[in-house]
Amino acid sequence: MKTLKIKIDGKEVTAKPDQTILELATENGIYIPTLCHSPALEPAAMCRLCMVELYEGRRKKFVTACNFPLRRDVEIKTDTPDIRQGRKLIIELLMARCADSPLLQGLAKEYGANVQRFSDLKDDCVMCGLCARVCEKVGGKTLTLSGRGVEIHVNTAFSEASEFCIGCGSCVQICPVNSIVMEDVAGERILKIHGREAARVKLVHCEMCNKHFGPVIDLTKVMSKFDKGAIPPSNANICPDCARIKLAKRIAGRYYDTI
Amino acid sequence: MAGIESKCTEPEIDYNVLNSIIVDRYNQNRENLIMMMQAIQKQYRYLPITALRYLSDKVQVPLIKIFEIATFYASFSLKPKGKNIINICTGTACHLKGTGKMVEHITSKVGIKSGETTPDMLLTMDNVNCVGACAVAPVIVFNEKYYPEADLSVINTLLDQAKSE
Repeated sequence: MKTLKIKIDGKEVTAKPDQTILELATENGIYIPTLCHSPALEPAAMCRLCMVELYEGRRKKFVTACNFPLRRDVEIKTDTPDIRQGRKLIIELLMARCADSPLLQGLAKEYGANVQRFSDLKDDCVMCGLCARVCEKVGGKTLTLSGRGVEIHVNTAFSEASEFCIGCGSCVQICPVNSIVMEDVAGERILKIHGREAARVKLVHCEMCNKHFGPVIDLTKVMSKFDKGAIPPSNANICPDCARIKLAKRIAGRYYDTI
Repeated sequence: MAGIESKCTEPEIDYNVLNSIIVDRYNQNRENLIMMMQAIQKQYRYLPITALRYLSDKVQVPLIKIFEIATFYASFSLKPKGKNIINICTGTACHLKGTGKMVEHITSKVGIKSGETTPDMLLTMDNVNCVGACAVAPVIVFNEKYYPEADLSVINTLLDQAKSE
């Protein structure tokens, strides 16, 4: 296969065609800050923090590293004064949205951003869209970015509590600024966005220890995704701890039976 | 299937009409989703949630995707619109020709701001950023009919027309 000769931060490396700049940088131990990137999802280039300089012949241009596929032999610089200035502005703007995020505070320190430059918008989201993208891929298709331009925000369908949420918690786990909260209260899992209830999922009641654990799973829907002949789990109503105890007891019982 | 709940404020949804749009006219093809939404909007003058839930189920597109489209395009409305819709162009050319004053005039006369509907559901005012007819600015679009080089007298006739219906 054809390989590309790329010069990245003065280092001569080879890249596969259509590999993104971010992938190449990660392979070669070069750090590019990102907020909206996850290797599991399609790049969206929404945070613009991964902007790098691309030199092609005499031309120089700024591109987002996360979704720029390499097709020609080019030179890339990931940490020039221009790039740092651009990132600083982005961080300053994002700090106006959610100043409480430790991740953003760390970046602000690294890039010397003036955190008080823009007035506080009293928001808690950076609009990276990771939650909406992961929900579409993993979850029950509950979250989306609704609206357009300045009105864009993470929302559930019709701004109502959604019935599609499966309580998987992917959105909570992937959010870079921890703005989505999930709580297990009295046998129900409650998902909160911007302090508003976005979804409520019933939790399974363990038959052995009487505690609530993971969300109720629509098994018929899950089984329909497998080939025919897949066996549904026999202990879906038992929590993982109790299932382990049950299995241990069964093994021990078998051992004592053989003596 | 998604739980279909009806809201008392919503108009009664005739599923035969929805079926004629979704199945007969567009063959349940998700590629025609926006056209189906436009047809539904034409039927009810806005997009009722119940109709969108039914559409989502029929074309197997997640409800959030339909919601995303409905909030993305300015031509879709999730709020009921009036019987008559007046669009005032507030693009650069029309704005310089004084459409800002026309908007104020309507607000003072009928009591609705941009994007609002009169309580009797007769008139909705929507401001658009350009209708692509800058040469004949200022432009007003009343019920999809263009009124080039409009002035306050044109607006007054249109308002009377809307009221008389």
